[in-house]
Amino acid sequence: MSRPKEMTRAVIVGHKSILKETIDSLHDTNLFHIEDFVEDESGFKISKPLKNAEEVSKKLVKIRSIANYLGIVKKEPVVQKTDSVLRDLDSKLNELDRAIATKTESIAQLDNELKDLDSQKREILPYLSINLDFDDYRGYESLKVFAGMVKGSLDGSQISSITKAYELYYDPQSKAVVLFVAKSDADRVYEVLQDLGFRELRVPERGGVPSELLRFIEQKEAEVTRKIESLRVDIESLKAKYADFILASDEILSIESQKAELPLRIATSANAFIIEGWTPTEDYDKVVSAVNSATNGKAYVTSLEIDEEEEEHVPVEYNNSKIAAPMQQIMDLYSRPKYTELDPSSVILITFPLMYGLILGDIGYALILGAIALAVKKAVKSDAVKPLMDILIYCQISTFIFGIIYGEFLGFSLASLHTAHGVVPGLIPGWETIVLFEGLGGEEFTFPVHRTHMVMTMIAATVTIGLLQLNLGFLLGFANISRHHGMKHAVLEKGSWLVIQLGALVAAIGYLGGNSGLAYVGAGILVLGIVMLTMGEGIKGPIELPSLMGNALSYARIIAVGLSSIYIASTVNDIAFEMIWSDHSKIGFLAVAAILVFILGHALNTVLSIIAPGLHALRLQYVEFFGKFYEGGGRKYNPFGYIRKYTEE
Amino acid sequence: MVGEELVGGPFLDADGMKALGAALAITVTGLASAWAEKEIGTAAIGAMAENEGLFGKGLILTVIPETIVIFGLVVALLINSA
Repeated sequence: MSRPKEMTRAVIVGHKSILKETIDSLHDTNLFHIEDFVEDESGFKISKPLKNAEEVSKKLVKIRSIANYLGIVKKEPVVQKTDSVLRDLDSKLNELDRAIATKTESIAQLDNELKDLDSQKREILPYLSINLDFDDYRGYESLKVFAGMVKGSLDGSQISSITKAYELYYDPQSKAVVLFVAKSDADRVYEVLQDLGFRELRVPERGGVPSELLRFIEQKEAEVTRKIESLRVDIESLKAKYADFILASDEILSIESQKAELPLRIATSANAFIIEGWTPTEDYDKVVSAVNSATNGKAYVTSLEIDEEEEEHVPVEYNNSKIAAPMQQIMDLYSRPKYTELDPSSVILITFPLMYGLILGDIGYALILGAIALAVKKAVKSDAVKPLMDILIYCQISTFIFGIIYGEFLGFSLASLHTAHGVVPGLIPGWETIVLFEGLGGEEFTFPVHRTHMVMTMIAATVTIGLLQLNLGFLLGFANISRHHGMKHAVLEKGSWLVIQLGALVAAIGYLGGNSGLAYVGAGILVLGIVMLTMGEGIKGPIELPSLMGNALSYARIIAVGLSSIYIASTVNDIAFEMIWSDHSKIGFLAVAAILVFILGHALNTVLSIIAPGLHALRLQYVEFFGKFYEGGGRKYNPFGYIRKYTEE
Repeated sequence: MVGEELVGGPFLDADGMKALGAALAITVTGLASAWAEKEIGTAAIGAMAENEGLFGKGLILTVIPETIVIFGLVVALLINSA
């Protein structure tokens, strides 16, 4: 159980001439959470960005647009020296910019050319079957040329009924038609053509035979496409050549722009500046000495008192061991603890995998998922994925342990079980189930625990586990409240719940044992608890009483979800084995299919085994457990600085 | 008793009625959970589109009605083992 890191409120005051040095030193330490200054009546104003801000952000925009265009992705970092990158930054950036600009420009030009060729091609295509030189379509004084498409079918007789002086080119397949007639007959011929649904087409302006033109255009198209391809290859090689430079300079420029824009977040007067913020108390001295050495002691650094009202708004940094640290992800997903609260990360380090293991409890799935988690953790370097895999590994350890307790492997029972209907053999010969004691409803509590045969007992057991966790929640709530509002409040608000449960327990024991005296004592304690609760929380306390039962019963999901997972697994097993037994063919086709069913079925259940137990175990923490003590809503401690990946000083 | 002629009749024996009762308990509570979660889930997704930080809260609120079907399941198991 831990509290968030203790924070110190610090103020740095100095003359504007040392502002840049101060900013640099703070940025390098990466330990100071700067509180944004809001202008008020004090007369202080936020300042203007440093001089280089505009230039830096211009370059940053340029480099990011280039990175975006080239599709540069984050990769294994090649660490470079900051000054060497900075020295070549301008020249390299311009060089790169120019190279890309000329290449994209010529690509755009070639693209246009390609489009142009395409439209030319489309103009020619209808005339392809007629294959007359386009120059023959033009330049007649007494001839009219009809060139186009018809819908109906055309033959010479329709024209020859009007005039004998004509020349017709007609392709019955494409329905393209070119008709030469005397101008004097043109009107009448046109009427005939119109009846056939004639649509005039433009005659391409260039001369030449269509088939030759087409070949020429296609050649040219291929040539242009080749050029575009080679340009794209050039751009790819640019990407390979400059990727490291782009990533490094993006990082350097981001850092510079962060620094350059800091004056917008702090209070300044004509000649002085004030930077206010938070640093972990353990690092306060580091911050002071860093600022002092950077400014030769010209800046004044001091710590301030934190009053109680402010405590709520102190930025929160977790303070957990390496083992519990992955659980912070689960906390952040809900809400970061407040500065004044207990940080339950180390509690859910135990309870979350415990619930997960109780639900899944299968050696086979634990091994599969554990191997997957380890492999993903090795393969993926992302900082966001690693903690999740750590959590998954914790869960699988717990699943493995409960797998032994339940004696389950991929839905098979490992130990043999003697029931009223006969012996159910187990996977491991010689492992017999031992009866430990009588369970509920005529069931027997055994080792290993056969969940499918002792549902009632397991419901009672899981609800009991739930009650234990809920009471742990009340105790944590007790600690939170007694620290900030005193013991009396803690006893009334959280202690009362314990008293109520004690009363109910005593009354139940008395009632069931036939001891009416004890039952009355229990009832008395119960009433006392309810009165305390009403004093602590007002009328909403007793209203919430039934929720305790709901919350406890909600833990029955542990066995319920677990059973569904077993049933899916054993159904897959049953189907696969029945297929194998019923397979009398020599080829063994069904046996192969059975293996497929087995693998696919268990693959499906493996995926479900992350989602279902994970979500339900998570929900038990978030809703039932946290509901008893946790508020959350803390601000993230976000120090002014940058974690360098691609560069170093 | 209403339905007495059914019990032990040609359609359902006592075990059949029990199975049917258990099935009803699961079905109805399952539908109820689904209905409630649908409404909450839509709103939660909408809120998450505005602010991704609400994932945790959205998840919690969405799964709260899940308790209904868990109770249904418990009742079904009780019916079956009684």
